[in-house]
Amino acid sequence: MIQHPAAKNFPKNVDQALKNETLQGTLRQVSGGFVDSRATARANLPEFDSLRDAARYMKNHTLQHLDLYLEEFEQAAKNAGGHVHWAENAKDAQQIVLDICADTNAKIVSKGKSMVAEEIELNKALEENGYEVVETDLGEYIIQLRNETPSHIIAPAVHVNKKQIEQDFRIAHSHLDPDRSFVDSSSLVREARHVLREKYFLADVGITGANMLIAETGQSVIVTNEGNGDLTQSLARVHIVIASLEKVVPTLDDASTVLRLLARSATGQPITAYTTFSSGPRRASDPDGPEEYHVVLIDNGRSKMLGSDFQDVLRCIRCGACMNHCPVYQAVGGHAYGSVYPGPIGAVLTPALSGVEDNKHLPNASTFCGRCEAVCPMRIPLPKMMRHWREREFEQHLTPAAMRYGLRFWAFFAERPKLYHFCTRWANRVMHMSARGKGRFSYLPFASAWTRYRDMPAPEATTFQSQWAKNRK
Amino acid sequence: MSARDRILQNVRHGLGGSAARDVTKSDWIKTTHAPIPAIARRNGSERTTQFLNNFEQMHGTYSKLKSFDELPAMLSQQLRERNIGQSVRMGPEPDFSTLDWSNMDVSVGPGRLVEPATLTRAFCASSETGTLMLLSGAKNPVTLNFLGETHFVALKSSEIEAGFEGMWSRWRASGHTPRTVNLITGPSRTADIEQSLELGAHGALAVHLFLVDDLDTKDAT
Amino acid sequence: MPETEKDQQDTKNVGLFVTCLVDFFRPSIGWAAVKLLQDAGCTVDVPAAQTCCGQPAWNSGDRSAAQSLARKIIETFETYDYVVAPSGSCAATLKKDYPEMFADDADWSARAVALSTKTYELVSFLTDVLNVTRVKAEFPGDATYHDSCSGLRSLGIKDQPRQLLESVDGLRLLEMKDAEVCCGFGGTFCVKYSDISNVMVGNKSRNVETTHAPLLVAGDLGCLMNIKGKLAREGKNVEVRHVAEVLAGLTEAPGIGDQK
Repeated sequence: MIQHPAAKNFPKNVDQALKNETLQGTLRQVSGGFVDSRATARANLPEFDSLRDAARYMKNHTLQHLDLYLEEFEQAAKNAGGHVHWAENAKDAQQIVLDICADTNAKIVSKGKSMVAEEIELNKALEENGYEVVETDLGEYIIQLRNETPSHIIAPAVHVNKKQIEQDFRIAHSHLDPDRSFVDSSSLVREARHVLREKYFLADVGITGANMLIAETGQSVIVTNEGNGDLTQSLARVHIVIASLEKVVPTLDDASTVLRLLARSATGQPITAYTTFSSGPRRASDPDGPEEYHVVLIDNGRSKMLGSDFQDVLRCIRCGACMNHCPVYQAVGGHAYGSVYPGPIGAVLTPALSGVEDNKHLPNASTFCGRCEAVCPMRIPLPKMMRHWREREFEQHLTPAAMRYGLRFWAFFAERPKLYHFCTRWANRVMHMSARGKGRFSYLPFASAWTRYRDMPAPEATTFQSQWAKNRK
Repeated sequence: MSARDRILQNVRHGLGGSAARDVTKSDWIKTTHAPIPAIARRNGSERTTQFLNNFEQMHGTYSKLKSFDELPAMLSQQLRERNIGQSVRMGPEPDFSTLDWSNMDVSVGPGRLVEPATLTRAFCASSETGTLMLLSGAKNPVTLNFLGETHFVALKSSEIEAGFEGMWSRWRASGHTPRTVNLITGPSRTADIEQSLELGAHGALAVHLFLVDDLDTKDAT
Repeated sequence: MPETEKDQQDTKNVGLFVTCLVDFFRPSIGWAAVKLLQDAGCTVDVPAAQTCCGQPAWNSGDRSAAQSLARKIIETFETYDYVVAPSGSCAATLKKDYPEMFADDADWSARAVALSTKTYELVSFLTDVLNVTRVKAEFPGDATYHDSCSGLRSLGIKDQPRQLLESVDGLRLLEMKDAEVCCGFGGTFCVKYSDISNVMVGNKSRNVETTHAPLLVAGDLGCLMNIKGKLAREGKNVEVRHVAEVLAGLTEAPGIGDQK
């Protein structure tokens, strides 16, 4: 059993991530690919930024009336013959899914990619209850074989390289010719396609997430490129959709706005290969499709965020642009965060879902460079919300003591200008002199975290304030 | 109190009580004050051209037909060029069933484990992104859209809408309530292995469109 | 010097918020700012009561310390026509954070907003408010410009410094890869998460080097010290200066972190 990294061990996880050469190799690819393709997609759509404004407005409106839209969705979904379930927390959500599987006499459960499934640890619950769970998204399938968690919300296996996947496939697909060769990525893709194709037919229950729920029509929407989600939900006898509350949008036209932004922000595609709107089970005359359709609406901490400093994060459409553009994510990858949702979105969402104590590093591991907010299609003020978490941490005395006292010590002087200028004048003199004209220090005892990696420029002689005062006399 | 009621109560509590709040369908419309991009407002031949360009950008291929009558021969030719046997799986779609398939092995029904070629009829399309819209149902079983290694689709040029808005209004007006509305833009793909794009992940390896050009004749009259 | 009565009336009374880093490490930047403002016709004052804007406390979640420092700054600067800082980061704190800091405090909220509306980062103040389109300065050689995060993303400073730098005689601007990507300074971040910061500044150093420009300029001293520190540690001989020094033509002093 591989030990999954925990958010509270963030510094240790970072250390390991930086030393992991395979990971560093794959991370270099992410920063280039996604960033450039998003920039191109944005440049090709002049209305992109006004669509972002519209999407923000639309989602704010929806959140402000979330109870009403959820009721509308529920009614419309039921009208189409679907079943709607409500889960207050992860455990309840697991139980609802387990009960449906039991009622179905299921043995095999196929799954499309779903972040909320990761959040509620659905696979673990299903496996503990004896079900065979088959992840069908290629990336999810790979990490399932590796017994790992996703390191990216849209590219779960972005941390794994081709060679590792080849090894995993040789072990997992031991029924195939051991001497077969994998000349390129395409041979790996073909093998996964072949192996998983049968599973769709064998599965009794197919579980997908939802990119959106549409109140107007009672449809759930999945946005995919591989087609696995569609096979999952069309070939199993029962289709279960698991979705968190905030996925609802009012109308099909509101869905258009989100669709115009989602793929462009995520992969830079104008649209993904498949966008599927589903409601209810197969119709009376249909020759295929599931016999039952269930939607599990999951709260798991969302309702608590409404009306709080963190309500805006519920606008998130899970495109992953924030992590693709985050220099911290690019340096350490997704696993170091030790949370289901990595990167800037995780730094805000994870403390809201599972408490700030165990996740206190996440909102701190940011320079507030603001790139996440700058690319967020839903204009979520991520740095501002990370700062809100830092305030909570300060209030709850979770901020490291050295930092707390350091700040207070600094503030004590800074609030007393005369004392401050007196002290800085002396400190400047001492530091300037001790540089002995070399211009910089390669080691400073009180700033070793700085000088460990870089020199510290020495101050020029005398502070500006004392020069200014002298000059004015 | 049920979980549903507790959740809704918590939502209302978070939003500061529900007393004065109400949304009607007219409020819903207000939320759609989003701009409709220029690429979703093309008309006439520009619309078709942009559709086909976008469709090709997403790795789709197409042939143009003058009428559905040409479909069996054109499909046969495609199968030959692609080294697929002369057999195809389709649904009991009226636009297909009246055609002469005597030179081909046609089977009718939903998708099976191995489907070298499938044929379905699109409901409409969108020029904005080169997207096909298909409705699941008795005439066009949904699994044919995903199980065919090569997925052939038939569409009329007059069914190409400018953008999402056009597709939605055409669908709303039709009164159809299918289990799934499938938007398909090119073949299945993945970049999950080292970010290199591979076509044919789980769904179709290739999507080929037969576009029945019913607009030229209209323009001429 | 103002030449007519009218100009005299229009003279802008600027309070220079010199910033604690510039005050302590690099007074040259302060003098460059004073010169640029005076050349553009402003009267410049540097109130002695200023210290720190409170950003480190605000960003670390210490709201009360941040507020008390902010009140001091507001009191010190609210009498000036404009408040100008040679730092996008500190200017953004006054302009963007102060109003948020006092959003729930009726008395201070109005004062914070009033200060916010007249606070500017130096270079954008010159171009956007004073309509300066070129400077009288000379610097022979190539230079590359790093976009500091707060200036770029909070205040929209991107073209302004480039426009003025291109008016410097002899200077040719070479764009580096990822000029808009953070250098890894981030205030306390660079010591709290020094390993990650090191990766980020390492990337920046490599991108600077790739341009072969012998001079790096930027608008924030924190970033400049960080990048210079890394360049020096890696033995890369690149001169590093604040954009104000170059625009003011005050480049006789050694570059940041360089010996005489």
